[in-house]
Amino acid sequence: MTLSRRHFLSGSLGSAVLLGAAAACGSGDTGVGGGGGAATTGAAGSAAAPSAAVGGKVGGGPVTGNISFAFWGGSVAEQTGFEYAKKIFETENPGATVELKTSPYDGFYSGVDRSIQAGDAPDVFRVDYTTFGRYASRNVLLDLNPYYDQSEIDAFIPSFWQAISYNGGAYGVPHQTDTSAIIYDVAALEKAGVSSVPTTLETAWTWDEFADVMGKLRSSLPDNQFPFAYNWTQAGAYRWLSFLYQAGGSLLTPDLAAAAIPSDAGTKALDFTKSFFTEKWVPDTNTIQGTRYSDDFFLKQTTVMSSIGDFSIPAVADPAQGFKGEWGATFLPRDAGAASDLGGNAIAVYNKTEQADTAAAFAKLMGREDVMKYFCAQSMELPTLSSLAAGGIDFVYVPELMSVFTQQATTVSQSVVDATVTPAFNDINTTLQAQLETAFKGGDTASALEQMAAGVNSALGA
Amino acid sequence: MTLIDRPTSAVPPPAPARQNRRSGEQGRAAAWFMAPNLLLIVVFLLVPLGLAFWIATQRYESLGDPVNIGMSNFVGLTTDPVFWESLRNTVVFTVATVPTGMALGLGIAILLNSVMPARAFFRSVIFLPLVISGVSVGMLGAWIFDQYDGFVNNVLAAFGVSGPSWQSNPGWAMTAVVLVTLWIRVGFDMIIYLAGLQAIDPQLYEAAQLDGAGAWKRFTAITWPMLRSSTFFLVVMNLIYSFQVFDTVFAMTSGGPNNATTMIVTYAYKVGFDEHGPGQLGYAAAVGVVIFAITMVFTLVLWRRNSAAED
Repeated sequence: MTLSRRHFLSGSLGSAVLLGAAAACGSGDTGVGGGGGAATTGAAGSAAAPSAAVGGKVGGGPVTGNISFAFWGGSVAEQTGFEYAKKIFETENPGATVELKTSPYDGFYSGVDRSIQAGDAPDVFRVDYTTFGRYASRNVLLDLNPYYDQSEIDAFIPSFWQAISYNGGAYGVPHQTDTSAIIYDVAALEKAGVSSVPTTLETAWTWDEFADVMGKLRSSLPDNQFPFAYNWTQAGAYRWLSFLYQAGGSLLTPDLAAAAIPSDAGTKALDFTKSFFTEKWVPDTNTIQGTRYSDDFFLKQTTVMSSIGDFSIPAVADPAQGFKGEWGATFLPRDAGAASDLGGNAIAVYNKTEQADTAAAFAKLMGREDVMKYFCAQSMELPTLSSLAAGGIDFVYVPELMSVFTQQATTVSQSVVDATVTPAFNDINTTLQAQLETAFKGGDTASALEQMAAGVNSALGA
Repeated sequence: MTLIDRPTSAVPPPAPARQNRRSGEQGRAAAWFMAPNLLLIVVFLLVPLGLAFWIATQRYESLGDPVNIGMSNFVGLTTDPVFWESLRNTVVFTVATVPTGMALGLGIAILLNSVMPARAFFRSVIFLPLVISGVSVGMLGAWIFDQYDGFVNNVLAAFGVSGPSWQSNPGWAMTAVVLVTLWIRVGFDMIIYLAGLQAIDPQLYEAAQLDGAGAWKRFTAITWPMLRSSTFFLVVMNLIYSFQVFDTVFAMTSGGPNNATTMIVTYAYKVGFDEHGPGQLGYAAAVGVVIFAITMVFTLVLWRRNSAAED
């Protein structure tokens, strides 16, 4: 890379997410107010009521009590990061313990929902940004505003603080983010005559250049091997929106009140991605309802390029089970502009927990600079604190490739963030899953876009 | 003396008071014996069934309180194309798996009921898939029928044959699911038929053989009629199983491609419990009620037909 990460983050794209904070301040290590049993209900989580004052509970000594923290078992790397947070928390708060409750991703939210309905939810749990709005809007999360003073809030990249904000309340801690970029098999590209791969965001392949590369790879590969796989499988359907935004389109209107998909950009994006299948650039099974994910296609060498989230890097880089051969990373293609998806997770606190202060303190610790830095370094995920986004994380695996993902993250526009955290996004994603699957299997573009718009409008109540 | 006038027994009947006391004691004892089962049936069967009907009349999302919407969920089903497609897929799947599985199970049972070496071993091998979890079998099936890197297509490629698109072609995807299901179910069919075959008196076959009946005649005149109760049991069980198939399909194809293998239960799961689905528990319950109604009607019709045949 010719640009340093700091230079890039501070010098490009006014709309970029990672540019939000001018100041890299915030030690984030202010203690959380002690005393027991406060702030479990009241205005917390209310969709209608204004939130409690910022900073009302900042300060004070160590907290006590036993809390549970539920998360899905993503990887050994993430588990290591969470165990580190538990260790730090219990050391700093001798009277407090954290029970880590890991479960598979499939069924995680169903379990959380059932436990909320039963009034027995984990005190703290992990929520991804695409699902966050659903919880924030249903009055089940604790407003964390009182636990933060303004300087601590300012330490976060504004877009991410906004992602956990709802009707004036702050219903979680932006823990980390991730986004997608392309990994590739160096030898396969060389064999196909692809002599250079973009190393800066500005020189990312245009759609035409991308198509040219796909064509070269298609010609050089056998029938049962493919140039590319995209990570839109199952719940990842929303990642198709990156193509829509690259083409200059948008999921929602600027007021977020209605669908904006049917458009020239929408038609162009859908036709372009449908051509992945007709041109045999991707396996026929790389559809929404497929059972194999893009990183698996790459690891099994069914494809020689795949779009993946940075959280998949540990698996690809694993010496024993990972990719056998030399591999690199480059940017998603661009058209009218560059764009990528908002991934990542927040840490939320159940608003009926009996240990509100302890739970809030633990959630807050997860967003503290040293703890976030350790977690991101282990899990190959991106930070949400401005100070860390500017650099300083020693990523454990192939750190030189992480700069690609870090730069790609700057193409997550504000409108992508706004759309992703809308409470109806789950329903919107369901619509996208259904219509994209039909379109990729030969369905009509115009009809698919209209159906998408109808589904989105229905989800929004428009 | 007419038959009516003749005493039916030389032994005098017991005194009415004593008889009543004894039957009362027996009734109480029976009630105590039945109570645990009845309790379980009420708590785990009847109450959930009633709740399912109630939830089906609600707009009930995974978070928040239910709102009564009457029959709207059922009305919504009538215009839901994915529901109808999943119903059609389920019927196709049922028709493809039930008769074929039973025919294969019967054939294997007859083979393993005869004198052949290592019968116990073969019975165990064929029965084994049934005790493996459906999800594991589904994942195994996904690997076996992976169209790019799967066992079946790799074997075919070794013979220079290009394997079918087991996952991306709707017809082949359904075929793969049916084949894996048959692999699971044949063992169950075999074991039930084997039990039925062993209950047939061998003297019937000896007598038929003495009368000159050939193998086919012995099968059609003795074996098949004597297996009627086994066949009835298997038809009912297999229909219920096929209509409620979930785990294998979900793990193997996730309902794809383009809903070609979405079954009615996988659809209910998707709308009710999928991580990034709509979380509409009321709508999913309505689908569940439809499944219940269909299987109930099937079972009653079969029951009546079987009863009529036995009479």
